[in-house]
Amino acid sequence: MENIRRASEWCYQGLWYSLTKWFLVPRDPPSLPSTEGEWVQSFRPSEGYLNYLRFFFWLGLFAIDIALTIGWIAIFIALPIVGVLITPIALAIIVLPDIVAYIAIHLRYDTTWYVLTDRSMRIRRGIWTIHETTITFENIQNIHIHQGPVERYFGFASLLVETAGGGGAQAHGAAGLGHRGMMEGLSNAPEIRELIMQRIKQIKSAGIGDDHVDSETSTTRGFTPQHVQLLREINQLTAQLAT
Amino acid sequence: MNQTAIEAQVVPVKQPLDVSAIRGPAPQLLTYYLIVAILTLPGVFFVLPALWFRYRTLQYKFDDEGISMRWGLFFRREVLLTYRKIQDIHVSRGIIQRWLGLATVSVQTASGSATPEMSIEGILEAEELRDYLYAKMRGSRQNVSTAQSDESSQTENEVTELLMGIRDNLAKLVDAREVR
Repeated sequence: MENIRRASEWCYQGLWYSLTKWFLVPRDPPSLPSTEGEWVQSFRPSEGYLNYLRFFFWLGLFAIDIALTIGWIAIFIALPIVGVLITPIALAIIVLPDIVAYIAIHLRYDTTWYVLTDRSMRIRRGIWTIHETTITFENIQNIHIHQGPVERYFGFASLLVETAGGGGAQAHGAAGLGHRGMMEGLSNAPEIRELIMQRIKQIKSAGIGDDHVDSETSTTRGFTPQHVQLLREINQLTAQLAT
Repeated sequence: MNQTAIEAQVVPVKQPLDVSAIRGPAPQLLTYYLIVAILTLPGVFFVLPALWFRYRTLQYKFDDEGISMRWGLFFRREVLLTYRKIQDIHVSRGIIQRWLGLATVSVQTASGSATPEMSIEGILEAEELRDYLYAKMRGSRQNVSTAQSDESSQTENEVTELLMGIRDNLAKLVDAREVR
């Protein structure tokens, strides 16, 4: 069992190497341009998400393979000669898609990346076509978190971020090219929501193209302790003058 | 020996992309269009001329405020947008595009359609272009915030100086009165 695991891991490493070498799948996690000392974090979906994908893989595998096997046995009983002839084809149909699907799940997991900074987020997704979406928090209109019962069992939730405009829902699904950023499989979705919400609350614009209002806040900030100290001294001196 | 090793490690400083130099798609885009057209098999005779005209007429113009993009031979189209209205930036690279070093940079504003308002095709420096657009879009306040804090710290310093001056003058007045 251990040997099989090691061998499959080795095969997967080889596959990964060829993908990065010949299919130019980027090896490094994505990042975002940032100033010094700024908080930037790149991360993958949680482990639970991978387990969730695997769970549905096994579920689908059993359902489809049992149906296929029953069909094959039925042919075998009805026409034994044909049954023998199609054995290799039947085995191939039953086994090959499973392997492909299993590898695809892992590749999908390994090529999904999320980046968060203080100001914006980036999502990378895809193997053949690699999509990268960049959204600044200032443009975000609303945040959804959803979690189904199975997802709760595996301990993760999905977070959907939407910007102004519409039409995103039907066209591209989870890949999300339109006005939305989907972060699937987050084990700490509420924390990330809090982080984004805090940022949005600090921003006073409506989020559709109007000017920054923060110049106002910077002028009202005004006095420093040094100023106050100086004003006290001045007050004292004027008091002396007045007597 | 040591010195060469150190020299090899020096990473060339990445020049910021001069976007105004981008006026049209890179020649690799034509190769990409050719491959795409061939992949449609029977449709190649219809798709290839259309894509060829698109390639020949595609023009970009990046200025300080926004981007304009125009294409078309019989039916001409022009799309203009300003950097400040950009909401999402998408970069997508298919496998063929990656082999050719191309990428599509799609830009979305707050319009009602799910398809991007502008898909800038045939860009070799997609990462740099995205960084440029990112720096210009709303909410990535790198430049604005530093400029503002500079300004406010300047006024703060001036206020401090003025207050100090007033205090010193008052002190002199007090001294003068006590002498009298």
